Amino acid sequence: MAQAVMDLDPIERRPELITGSPGFHGITEAVSRPVEWTPPLGWYIALGISMAMLGLFGVSIGWLVWEGTGIWGNNLPVAWGWPIVNFVFWVGIGHAGTLISAVLFLFRQKWRTSINRAAEAMTIFAVMCALVFPGIHTGRPWVDYWMLPIPNQMDMWPQFRSPLMWDVFAVSIYFTVSLIFWYLGLIPDLATLRDRAKTRIRQVCYGILSLGWRGSHRQWLHYERSYLLLAGLATPLVLSVHSVVSFDFAVSQLPGWHTTIFPPYFVAGAIFSGMAMVMTLMLICRVVFKMEHIITMLHFDRMAKLILLTGMIVGYAYSIEFFIAWFSGNQFEYFAFVNRATGPYAWAYWTMVSCNVLAPQVFWFKKARTNVVILFIVSIFVNIGMWFERFVIVVTSLHRDFLPSSWDYFTPTFWDVATLIGSFGLFFTLFCLFVRYAPMVAMAEVKGVLPGSHPHHGEEESEAEFEAPPTAATVAEAAKEGAEKPSGAGLLAQFEGPGELLKAANQVRKAGFKAWDAHTPYPVHGLERAMGLQRSRVPYLVLIMGLSGAAAGMLLQWWVSGTAYPLIVSGKPFFSWPAFIPVTFECGVLGGALGALLGFLIFSKLPQHHHWLFNSKRFEQVTDDKFFISVESKDPLFDGEQTGQFLKKLGASAVEQVA
Amino acid sequence: MPTLPPQEVSIPPGHGLESVPKIAAAVGIVLLIASFGLGLSFDGKQFWHSYLVACLFFFSIGLGALFFVLANIASRAGWSVAVRRLAEHISITLPVVGILFVPLLIWGAHDLYHWTHSEAVAEDPLLQHKSPYLNLPFFYIRSALYLICWALIAWWFRRQSLHQDEVGDPGITRKLQTFSAPALIVFGVTVTFASFDWIMSLDPHWYSTIFGVYFFAGSFLSGLAFMVLIFLRLHSGGLLTQVVTYEHFHDLGKLIFAFVVFWAYIGFSQFMLIWYASIPEETLWYAHRWEHGWKPVSIFLAAGHFGLPFFFLLSSDVKRRRTTLMLVCAWLLLVHYLDLYWLVMPSHGGFHPHYLDLLCFLGVGGVFLGVLGWAMRPNLVAVRDPRLPESLSYENV
Repeated sequence: MAQAVMDLDPIERRPELITGSPGFHGITEAVSRPVEWTPPLGWYIALGISMAMLGLFGVSIGWLVWEGTGIWGNNLPVAWGWPIVNFVFWVGIGHAGTLISAVLFLFRQKWRTSINRAAEAMTIFAVMCALVFPGIHTGRPWVDYWMLPIPNQMDMWPQFRSPLMWDVFAVSIYFTVSLIFWYLGLIPDLATLRDRAKTRIRQVCYGILSLGWRGSHRQWLHYERSYLLLAGLATPLVLSVHSVVSFDFAVSQLPGWHTTIFPPYFVAGAIFSGMAMVMTLMLICRVVFKMEHIITMLHFDRMAKLILLTGMIVGYAYSIEFFIAWFSGNQFEYFAFVNRATGPYAWAYWTMVSCNVLAPQVFWFKKARTNVVILFIVSIFVNIGMWFERFVIVVTSLHRDFLPSSWDYFTPTFWDVATLIGSFGLFFTLFCLFVRYAPMVAMAEVKGVLPGSHPHHGEEESEAEFEAPPTAATVAEAAKEGAEKPSGAGLLAQFEGPGELLKAANQVRKAGFKAWDAHTPYPVHGLERAMGLQRSRVPYLVLIMGLSGAAAGMLLQWWVSGTAYPLIVSGKPFFSWPAFIPVTFECGVLGGALGALLGFLIFSKLPQHHHWLFNSKRFEQVTDDKFFISVESKDPLFDGEQTGQFLKKLGASAVEQVA
Repeated sequence: MPTLPPQEVSIPPGHGLESVPKIAAAVGIVLLIASFGLGLSFDGKQFWHSYLVACLFFFSIGLGALFFVLANIASRAGWSVAVRRLAEHISITLPVVGILFVPLLIWGAHDLYHWTHSEAVAEDPLLQHKSPYLNLPFFYIRSALYLICWALIAWWFRRQSLHQDEVGDPGITRKLQTFSAPALIVFGVTVTFASFDWIMSLDPHWYSTIFGVYFFAGSFLSGLAFMVLIFLRLHSGGLLTQVVTYEHFHDLGKLIFAFVVFWAYIGFSQFMLIWYASIPEETLWYAHRWEHGWKPVSIFLAAGHFGLPFFFLLSSDVKRRRTTLMLVCAWLLLVHYLDLYWLVMPSHGGFHPHYLDLLCFLGVGGVFLGVLGWAMRPNLVAVRDPRLPESLSYENV
């Protein structure tokens, strides 16, 4: 009953997340195929084009370093030109991944499982593109280390009251945490690729990357807890990152930049643009890699709704800004906005409004949300519109200086355009490599939402039908009598489904075994109860490391700004706590995320070089579609013969002695 | 469809919960009359400020509940069906608080809003500039519009949902889903401008684009906290014990935690940007909240509205235990009142708590509880919502 309810919504007959019921093995096949087969011609063409663009990026940066920032259109009064526009654009794109992986995860939106992996990868690549710009924007990348709090011979320290410093921390920590989150999610899938590997090189590479993962529930327990905590940390992090980016503008006194709604408005805009980019890429990938049954129209329908929602929030911010610009009675503020809509950059402003506010309105209609062509066109519009939004914010506010004699019109140069196109090259090259070498869809997670992935409820009550297991007492007695222990490392029993496994696990626990484990391709819920496992202690580590990180961040800023390098900045006190909150927060999140990763590794005893279970050929299927219980021979109740019989009785389809 | 015991899903006749609201309403009306009488004869200015805070507090609970209804319907949420009806009942208090608000609009506007003084406007170019928006006729039209919109939305969604209890038509759910998205847009616009008009314009020179979001964050938080308190009260009265489980409390607790953080995020963003840019016309608003006894209140607000509940709610046990949950929700309502007090009162002067504050709060609150008691007479759970089984059987993982 409960099962039917979960899968089929009574109102919309929610279509199945995955169509065509491919089964666990079908998912493994479909997702692993692009990684293992020779890629289609389209992939080579895409990679070729991307690498050509990447080459252009290299040339542009090389020329920049050689010649200096004069090659760009940046000049007074528009001293902040395309580099910061591109930076903000890419950081924004990098927000959808975390939204899909973390926020939708917390909201238990199971449809995210088909697209979250690709979205997370996209996040990481977009943030890499973004990070290039602060690195090169001065034209002197050799002094980039000035941005980091490193002791140096000049006795100089970063200026923590500047939002540009907050950016350095926010974006690089965002990158780190996204990478941890992505990698943690990848571990079970990398193990699948390891177990399917046909060549030695692949086996070794994926073997190292998967850290010795064996789908043990003792590992899944910590894995899931760490994943949840990382999601919990990534959610405020994603809000903070684009808020910090918005602070770059909003802490100033410039009309059009200084407005309090900027933080949430930038966050909504970032998610909006990132969603559009995910949509563009997924529309292409599902066709090229034949994954129409995994990435279905349902996913696009939901994404379209999110685009509509965030587009409306962005529209709300545009309107409120305009209203308050008038309401404030501040003529400079009002001029900035009227000038945006009617001045020399009116074309850019109205491009922005049409792409971001008007275009998504078609998503009110289900027909548009499920039409591939319309989806694609609108997603491209949004991508363009969101780039223009940043262009409008940066350039229109600057080109009308307080001194009318300085007024000017900003024109980009060839190198501005080349750098932007080049950054797309970096992004698409990385994305092409990703879809070729890593599983594009989170296999383990998708398996967990397939119908039939839940052990049926009520199994625990039906224990009576089993023959009484050998009680702890009788087995222990047998052990005392000196029954010879077999030399093998233990027994491996295979089960065909999660339900059978759950029943058997209950019995094994009741029989009193201690050194045993259950292995599954995805986390089977209820197993921790059946196995009698304790709650994971990862949260305590996360809390301790998070608080330590935050304290360290605050201390660093206090010491640097107050003691080591006291510098008066715009009349602010040396210890300006409001200005130190962003970095303190980011450091706290970094500490917590490292705590989640470390906690997962320590408690689940990974990485592990070798484990006796890997001697079994059969065990390779644990990362595909089979379920296992393993009992180690060192268990005091272990008895080769009897334990094997016992496992057989519990419904094992095969029992194997593993040496 | 699981069968719920009827004595579980609606307040049985003669139950204690039937008489309490009646008493509350009676006491509330008496206190309201007393506060009007005392206030208007001794200190009208103080009275209208106190009364504004009281009304805003109960508005915000109703608005929080209304948002809960709309957002959950729009997102087709399954988990929340068991708890959604109570939010529908709470939201129907909006029109009544709206009626109580009318005297303030008519007779209190002059004491509250500086921009209504024509002699002040005549000398102030900024107020002259704003007069196309900040003028009494337009103010009344807008206020009426907000109140009517909220009343209509709350009434219609609750009525449709109650109707579904009788006919069990899944089409009603579909209809609600269709209208929930436009209703959310209306909600967003009206709440924003209501907060601009009723709170922000107390200081007509000051402006902040994030202000509407700030008011919304606090409202949703207090709506959630109030819902939890009522559920706990219903549980102790032997109601909904098999419907609203600790899984629901846990989820509501997580939402509360999220909005504790969201409120702090919005509040900090506003403060930090104004502090950093340090433009006198903006910082003045915070200066008013840092002088004349307001400094400790401001600090207490940051610690009490964010710090304390944040660390308290980190643990999942807190969200699953009656006493701790009750404590934190009652606390949050208290600090939310203080938050609104902190927004409104500095326009009257220093921090001087007044007996009229308490009187107005109890008066409006009594009437509010009375209406809520009346609203809670029908089923306390949407018994024939097609997604109810999903909500009843779900567990936190």
